[in-house]
Amino acid sequence: MVSSKLTRFERARIIGARALQLAMGAKPMVKVSGAMDPIDIATLELKKKVIPLDVRK
Amino acid sequence: MQETIEKVTKVVKKKRAKFTESLIYEIAETVEKRDMDDKELDELVKRVKKAYERARVENGEAVGTVAAQSVGEPGTQMTMRTFHYAGVAELNVTLGLPRLIEIVDARKKISTPTMAIYFEEEFRVDEEFVRTIANQIGKSTMNDIVQDFHTNYAKMNVVVELDMPKIEDKRLNFEDIINRVEKAFKKVQIDNNVLSFEPSKPSIRELRLLADKVRDLQISGVKNIGKVVIRKEEDEWVIHTEGSNLGAVLKMEGVDKVRTTTNDIHEVEKVLGIEAARNSIIHEAQRTMDEQGLTVDVRHIMLVADMMSADGSVKSIGRHGISGEKASVLARASFEETGKHLLRASIRGEIDHLTGIIENIIIGQPIPLGTGSVGVLMKQKK
Repeated sequence: MVSSKLTRFERARIIGARALQLAMGAKPMVKVSGAMDPIDIATLELKKKVIPLDVRK
Repeated sequence: MQETIEKVTKVVKKKRAKFTESLIYEIAETVEKRDMDDKELDELVKRVKKAYERARVENGEAVGTVAAQSVGEPGTQMTMRTFHYAGVAELNVTLGLPRLIEIVDARKKISTPTMAIYFEEEFRVDEEFVRTIANQIGKSTMNDIVQDFHTNYAKMNVVVELDMPKIEDKRLNFEDIINRVEKAFKKVQIDNNVLSFEPSKPSIRELRLLADKVRDLQISGVKNIGKVVIRKEEDEWVIHTEGSNLGAVLKMEGVDKVRTTTNDIHEVEKVLGIEAARNSIIHEAQRTMDEQGLTVDVRHIMLVADMMSADGSVKSIGRHGISGEKASVLARASFEETGKHLLRASIRGEIDHLTGIIENIIIGQPIPLGTGSVGVLMKQKK
């Protein structure tokens, strides 16, 4: 059963990797309002499916 | 039944669920028993799918560690040494921690092999038939059927008078007994139910040896099976045995080939194959835990059974089995006999691909488990 849904490990890994990029100065792919830390932004990006990263299965 | 199975398979396919064959069979069985209509079947499959998906674990989950803890912790609660007498039948069966160790060690010779023999529908309630079979299976020696036994030192012979009512009671065939006796002893005179044996050499020593031999002559029974106990369980008669010989018993007429079991895992593997052996491991381990009042999720035990039978033959857990046959040198070295493994690996020039957990811990890298098992790539630009 191959599901497109991410496992909790994949989610954590993607958010972590994206948050690192953001922390190092990458431009957010979503609109940032007020004070958000990189992890919040990465989580929001994942929710909107705009993170430019993929998991290798 | 076949039709129901096909119907269920169709519904399962429509719902895009991937069920195992046995699960489909179970659903079909329920459908037949409860006489369900199509709508109810749809609902059932939907619910089963939901439950099935909930029971699955995600990729990267540390199932082995969790299984080890989940079996290990209740294991500490087990009584170290248990002797159990099942029912009034005084059949001794090893249970508790010793039995659990026996299972995971995949012992060739288990301490108390036993069988539960069930019968096909038409013989289930036939006590007479079951008793006849029980006497064919259970071991009887000459000693069990003698009325009079004496050693005559003057005439240099051993005279045995057979107890005809006893033979009748045991449902043995008189002719078979005579045949067995004639086969085992050359110098024997038979006069109806009185047998007289003569030793090969006329000496007192020989005569005494002969007397013992006559007494211990096995006149019926299946190899490796000792005592049998007949018990009524619910509405049917069931035979429990001390000792086990699945192959021979399954060949007997009237024996239910589906439900008759043994607790000897190696015998199950030999007679019925590896899948049956896997089920047997699961069943035996589960039963041992249950009996002690401990509940362990089957999936933990299933994982253990899967590991033990994955190679196509039952392997023990530990130095001589799974742990000792791992592909990685570092994984083996970290378990037991570190020096031996490292030395051998260096002599042979073994290569470690560092694909396991322990290897990466030793090297000091993130381990391929959970988050560590996920690789990240930049998305391809479309």
